[in-house]
Amino acid sequence: MGLKVPFVTGYLTEHFGDDAFPTLEGYRAKGGYEAARKALGSMTPDEVIELMKTAGLQGRGGAGFVTGLKWSFMPKKGDKPRYIACNADESEPGSFKDRILLERGAHQMLEGILIGAWAMQAEKTFIYVRGEYAHPAACVQRAIDECYAAGILGANCLGTGFRHDVVLTRGAGAYICGEETGLLESLEGKKGQPRKKPPFPAEYGAFGMPTTVNNVETFSHVPHIVAKGADWFRGFGTEKSPGTTIFGVSGHVARPGLFELPLGTRLDEIVFQHAGGVPNGRKVKGVIPGGMSMPILPAGQLDVAMANEFLRERKTMLGTGGIMVMDDTTCMVRASCVITYFFRDESCGQCTQCREGTGWLHKLVTRIERGAGSIEDIEILADVTSKMEGQTICAFADAAAWPVQGMLRHFREDFELHVEHKKCPFPESFEL
Amino acid sequence: MAKLTIDGVEYEVKDGRTILQALDDLGLLMNGVDVPHYCWHPKLTIDGSCRLCQVEVEGFPKLQIGCNTPVKDGMVVHTKSERVKHAREGVMEFLLLNHPLDCPICDQAGECKLQDYAFEYGVKHARTEEPRRALKKNVDLGPTIKFDQERCILCRRCVRFCREVPKTGELAVFNRGDHSVIETVPGMQLDNPYSMNVADICPVGALTTKDFRFKIRVWFLEEAPGICTGCSNGCNVYLGVANNKVYRYVPRRNDSVNDTWICDVGRMTYEEIGAPDRLKLPAVRSDSGVLEAVPFAKAIDAAAARLRSLVERKGAGVLAAVASAHASNEDLLVLARFLDAYGIRHSGVTVRRGDSDDLLVKAEKAANAEGARTLGFEEAGPLAKQIAGGGIDGLIVLGHDLLDPAYLGGERTLAKLDTVIVLDTHVSALERVAHVILPVRHAAEKDATYVNHAGRVQRSWPVVEPSFEAYADGEVISRLGAALGLPGFDGKFDVREVSRSLGAAAAAFRGIDLESVGEQGIPLAGKG
Repeated sequence: MGLKVPFVTGYLTEHFGDDAFPTLEGYRAKGGYEAARKALGSMTPDEVIELMKTAGLQGRGGAGFVTGLKWSFMPKKGDKPRYIACNADESEPGSFKDRILLERGAHQMLEGILIGAWAMQAEKTFIYVRGEYAHPAACVQRAIDECYAAGILGANCLGTGFRHDVVLTRGAGAYICGEETGLLESLEGKKGQPRKKPPFPAEYGAFGMPTTVNNVETFSHVPHIVAKGADWFRGFGTEKSPGTTIFGVSGHVARPGLFELPLGTRLDEIVFQHAGGVPNGRKVKGVIPGGMSMPILPAGQLDVAMANEFLRERKTMLGTGGIMVMDDTTCMVRASCVITYFFRDESCGQCTQCREGTGWLHKLVTRIERGAGSIEDIEILADVTSKMEGQTICAFADAAAWPVQGMLRHFREDFELHVEHKKCPFPESFEL
Repeated sequence: MAKLTIDGVEYEVKDGRTILQALDDLGLLMNGVDVPHYCWHPKLTIDGSCRLCQVEVEGFPKLQIGCNTPVKDGMVVHTKSERVKHAREGVMEFLLLNHPLDCPICDQAGECKLQDYAFEYGVKHARTEEPRRALKKNVDLGPTIKFDQERCILCRRCVRFCREVPKTGELAVFNRGDHSVIETVPGMQLDNPYSMNVADICPVGALTTKDFRFKIRVWFLEEAPGICTGCSNGCNVYLGVANNKVYRYVPRRNDSVNDTWICDVGRMTYEEIGAPDRLKLPAVRSDSGVLEAVPFAKAIDAAAARLRSLVERKGAGVLAAVASAHASNEDLLVLARFLDAYGIRHSGVTVRRGDSDDLLVKAEKAANAEGARTLGFEEAGPLAKQIAGGGIDGLIVLGHDLLDPAYLGGERTLAKLDTVIVLDTHVSALERVAHVILPVRHAAEKDATYVNHAGRVQRSWPVVEPSFEAYADGEVISRLGAALGLPGFDGKFDVREVSRSLGAAAAAFRGIDLESVGEQGIPLAGKG
């Protein structure tokens, strides 16, 4: 067993401890590429898309869009080549699940890509790997090379006559390149700035061709669905959010790491049972349930099933499943400083509300943290977020506004204490 | 066609247009239906980034940007709802967050869309005490444009303009987020034949032309319609007029002529109107060979006397007239009548030629070469040869393009002529050989029509009055005709009446005259 994570495994990660599994031989030994053989050999593209729709797999990149539906948006006819982009630009703070899927399960992902390519009759896939992910990129490239050598990819995939090429490209370190059209721009060698829609990628994607963008984990589920069927897949998770996902838990927990669990697993179960709870006799203050762009939940609201239909009731979302736990020493204003700084730094700067709003939020929060804020500043903070959300080209401005809204919703007292004391009242909190 | 309902009013719009494009097509944008916008420009690609043009579209949960939302048949749009108002207030407040408060010394003040929209759609007070961004001021982007980075609202119109219109791409957005700035690409200057248009399309005071900045507060300017006379394209302009002086040209939109652009060379031709080298005084060469300023009437009489004496000695066959492509149709029609009445057989029109491009700049460097041709004036090349060959003794010459290398290449060959009568707007070497000089008006000083390269008849209006005595060429020729006692010439020149008779002189003008041309011009018959 070469690897200590994930601590809890499921169908995606059960063989990740096996050092042979990342190789083609090791993957095949566990039944690898049989699902692709089944799809390409005995299913029509439409049958694959129908299967995906029936299975109800939701995209695992953060937005949770139904994968089968997304695939069905690709034009069936036309002389333009169709492309796939695999989004491996994992850069949501608190999220580190795709990394292990790339390092330990590259073939599983590639098999999912090949099945997707057949379903959408795509001739090429671009795997866009986060720039900082040098080792994961090397793992994927090795797997691609093995596939070409074995005839799984290329001019005659698995001997079926279907042609599909896979190209790996690496990003240069911008968070926004994880947004699907920002990714496409970057892929084309341009500045990573999301595109206005319409046109949507299924019509005008990479290099102007119809393109579908899916996350690493999304593709990784696909071979399992093809091999074992929609009913089997729906045996995991909730009715509306089927399947497992890999939760990444970080922050003030005894056992930070990855846990593959069915969607709908309760947040308190993940934090206290799987991740070992908060160490040093401290208590939980708040938990961000789905990566930094998702609104925080206070300690009293951890009894929530981790699926969008339940999280939405608490005004937050599953996002990428990156769970960040903060204990009772944490100053939520400081935490907001970190969050707003990140979004200020990473905003691409196209849309007015995002470019100016992210900076304003950070300045306001920083001033409150310094003890120089007023009660009115707290009101302004809330108002600014309301003028940012839902108004921009991409969801980045939402991602910058929502966490601040969550902080104000549940930890307004922290902000007010700063105003009252004219300094930060949490001396034990982390240093900025 | 699609049905589009905006604020309860139904419109028929072309298919395949976005909401703002449809409003623009209908002529209603910011002119009946107000959807404020910064990044969108009718002649540039859609950017969709300023987010000011958000409107409520029924069936969409979120507000939609008018610039990029395609109209669908039956679409219902609201531009005045509370949500729209809230969104606009947000955008305006965000844009003003870091904008310097230097309106009193900003040259854009008075024609600034940030001022206008902040007044109209913004919140009424500032809520930020954070320091504003400090960026570069007074940056030289190139030979024509100054840039104030702090005032820039990053609408990126200038960036798209350089990429899409002159296709030179000198400008780009550098960095990201709230440290985004516009700069020239390293190693490049903003230097292209259309560079000054970026100042027109810049909604704020970030880009200003070196030529116009700090000359006058714009609220003192009257923006009068007219045309550029720098070449045969006839780009439509507004002449910025104050104190009986033209301070600038800015392009006036005409989708059949120049869209919303003008070339830098043409834009600067406004300088010719009040130029120090305007021909200001009528003059007559004395017996001692010196030009002496005389009253206008005396100069006309002197011209008539010289012509009469020459014709008495050698007949009208030794006379020639050189028409100018700078002269208007009305001027040229009077000249043609004069030639007929006086029996002058030798004539032609000079057209100076130069560089052209496939955007706006045309090779013929005058406004009315096509009009002259339509009225029967032939190219003056053969006539110039005849003059150089000594076959002509008396010459009436409009303008000084005859001195161009394509014709005489200088005034020398004219020195031996018995009589040279010059009608011109500006001083030239013709003064050295002229016997009579008669100052005439610039297009900006008279009612007149011109025909552009594509056969579109356009007009000028008198927007300034010369500070010296000068008349339209047509009027000067009318007076000369009367002084000569020519039939049909009573010395009066009614430009409207002359204009109305253009159709009788050349069929292509039928139904076209000063009154019917309007601000957008109309094509000659058969050129539509």
